[in-house]
Amino acid sequence: MKIVTASTFDGVYLDHNATTPVDPSLFELVPTWMSQFGNPSSIHQASRGPRTLIREARVKIAELLNVSPLEIVFTSGASEGNNTVIKAIWDRRGKERPEFLCSAVEHPSVIKAMQSIEKKGAVIRWIPVSKEGALDLNFVKMHLGSKTALVSVMSANNETGTLFPVAEIVDLAKAAGALVHSDCVQMFGKHTLDLKKLGVDYATFSGHKFYSLKGSGFMYAKKTAPLENLIDGGAQERFRRGGTENTVGIAAMGHMAGKMATMDLVGKVSELGQLRDAMEARLVAEIPELYITAQKSPRLTNTSHMMIAGIDAETLLINLDLDGFCVSTGAACSSGNPEPSPVLLAMGFTRFEAQTSLRVSLGWGSKADDLEKFVQRLGEIVSRLRQMKKELENVTA
Amino acid sequence: MSQPKMSGNVRAKKRVLVAMSGGVDSSVAAALLVDQGFEVIGATMQVWDYSQCDIDEGNGTCCSSLDVDDARSVADKIKIPFYVINCETKFKESVIDPFVADYMKGQTPLPCVNCNTYLKFDHLIHKMRELDCDYLATGHYAQIQTENGKSFIATSVDDWKDQTYFLFTTNSQIIPKLLFPIGHLQKPDVRKIAEEKGLIVAKKKDSQGICFVGNQGYGNFIESQVGKKALEDLRGLFRRYPNGEVMGEHKGIHHYTYGQSKGFGLDHHEKMFVIKVDADTKTVWLGDESHLFGHDLNLRDMKLMDDLNEEQIYNVKIRYQHKGAPAKIKKDGNGFKVSFLEKQRAITPGQAAVIYKDKKLIGGGWIVI
Repeated sequence: MKIVTASTFDGVYLDHNATTPVDPSLFELVPTWMSQFGNPSSIHQASRGPRTLIREARVKIAELLNVSPLEIVFTSGASEGNNTVIKAIWDRRGKERPEFLCSAVEHPSVIKAMQSIEKKGAVIRWIPVSKEGALDLNFVKMHLGSKTALVSVMSANNETGTLFPVAEIVDLAKAAGALVHSDCVQMFGKHTLDLKKLGVDYATFSGHKFYSLKGSGFMYAKKTAPLENLIDGGAQERFRRGGTENTVGIAAMGHMAGKMATMDLVGKVSELGQLRDAMEARLVAEIPELYITAQKSPRLTNTSHMMIAGIDAETLLINLDLDGFCVSTGAACSSGNPEPSPVLLAMGFTRFEAQTSLRVSLGWGSKADDLEKFVQRLGEIVSRLRQMKKELENVTA
Repeated sequence: MSQPKMSGNVRAKKRVLVAMSGGVDSSVAAALLVDQGFEVIGATMQVWDYSQCDIDEGNGTCCSSLDVDDARSVADKIKIPFYVINCETKFKESVIDPFVADYMKGQTPLPCVNCNTYLKFDHLIHKMRELDCDYLATGHYAQIQTENGKSFIATSVDDWKDQTYFLFTTNSQIIPKLLFPIGHLQKPDVRKIAEEKGLIVAKKKDSQGICFVGNQGYGNFIESQVGKKALEDLRGLFRRYPNGEVMGEHKGIHHYTYGQSKGFGLDHHEKMFVIKVDADTKTVWLGDESHLFGHDLNLRDMKLMDDLNEEQIYNVKIRYQHKGAPAKIKKDGNGFKVSFLEKQRAITPGQAAVIYKDKKLIGGGWIVI
């Protein structure tokens, strides 16, 4: 197998919502962190280096998000964070407030955690989302009440890139005494984010979505917000998450937070938006019956989700991969699952439409000429597949 | 990050899609194609949700999920791209459901043929075209040969492993698009090649039985599909053939197949065989082995890849392990009638009768009595 690495890859990577390439600056730094082998919880000198790495990372991340370092808890990623928050709130508040509000298009780690507490007696109300990706705020208003424990709404959808009005939800929830959690995995590095201003009680993140390492993540838990361990163990993370820390992963996330604080992130985000919009204009011009999902809605600037009439996305993906283009049909975690995207079904698209969907997600390294090559190649493949389909229909007719 | 490979018309090599089950045969088939200079793409059909059945994965069944890992690791080893293609819905509709329905009718089905007909040589042929491939290859023990410029399927060099029996429904138009890279080899040679190439599947057990049934047995599998209640309706009586004497009650007609001589739970000293299963009355007829022999059978849904000559004597196989026996075949109403020169044992409805002229596969159909 040809192993794809950052240095050997000669294709075009357009799947940054699945994961991002590790930032080149980390290639030099990671070995120096790896050599600091001590257990951060030890008392002796070997622990000092790793402990410092963790402390500095916590500070950098907290600064970038405008929260206190003590409010950052390191985890293995957002799936762990999402499970921790949802199950903790059920344990802490379930008796008095058994109701949970959750958008119908959340990541599986939120949906499954909700279904898990549902079996224990929680009442889950799924907030509808329109075909344009708009969250039904009236539904939220209607169901928020004295029985609501938590509202969980992602900041940006992983498949379509649509942004949800989390700040408004926070205002509504506060009035009802409910807590708010937001899965912010797709925001970090793709959008500015001030958690204090946003006002959520919990937010969850994964390192590999912002050019750091897989298996590392963190969650934000407001000082005043209740929390229970998902993983019991030692005194790490102030008893909020047991297990010896992933020092290298944590240091990498801290480094990237520091980088984002000093780089022109706003400029990068807007540059990606221009690239994306130009690509979408070309796609629509080049390929008949190509529909851009939620194009008119507020979206992450790096994400473009489309449905191409009559084209099986699985076939399209393989064709594109054979030609060196890495894209996806939807959530990477669900690949291998024959069911069409639950996100698209929840938005009201048919199974048939959902099976024609393609997600293109740009990253900091995306270039205009690569996108043009992608548009060209996609156009050629789609027209070949459509021609073939037409011939087949003629034969059977 | 710039120069993506362009495919389409500028490709120098012929492109082949190879169906890889994770077994030694299809693995070696893929490796040989790479040696022959093809651009090879490996694919495994995800046909069944194995998380829902009790099955020893990777233990000699066809396509369990550990087998997908094996296929993937072979693909990595021989440096070809590899994909899992979802076929669960199609597999359920065209393989599992008819399999269950046949058992409910007291027949002994042959799901591998439907898998070839509707999945490998239809769904994958379609994928092959969609992926701009020139050929579809499988690890079947069969050969493609040509005669007067026309391609046909011929039996494998390895008589024992020959799998052409399962290929009788192949549409003759797609034969020129097929490659069977191991059909000219004996099984031990295939294993030797796998070993020489360092493929991890070199010593893996051959696939046995039906991939989706696994070790749980047919009865349990059928029950998992239709529920207990439906199976209770299949209970009935054992009767002695031909006088009709009641010999006891049986567990359901789906447990019995023609020629079976064990598992009746009857207190009888003489050796008895299942002579016939009557789905309408739920009767399983037991009797002396001599009643199992018959001259004739009828075929439905005959598929022919070549013209049939009613005067010609063909070699006809009535089950996979059957060596084949000489027979004449003629049109009979909507179907065909096969008349063997000598009586054959346990002609079983639901199995296929497959027709050969020497080594050449002519076609076949489904046995009805």
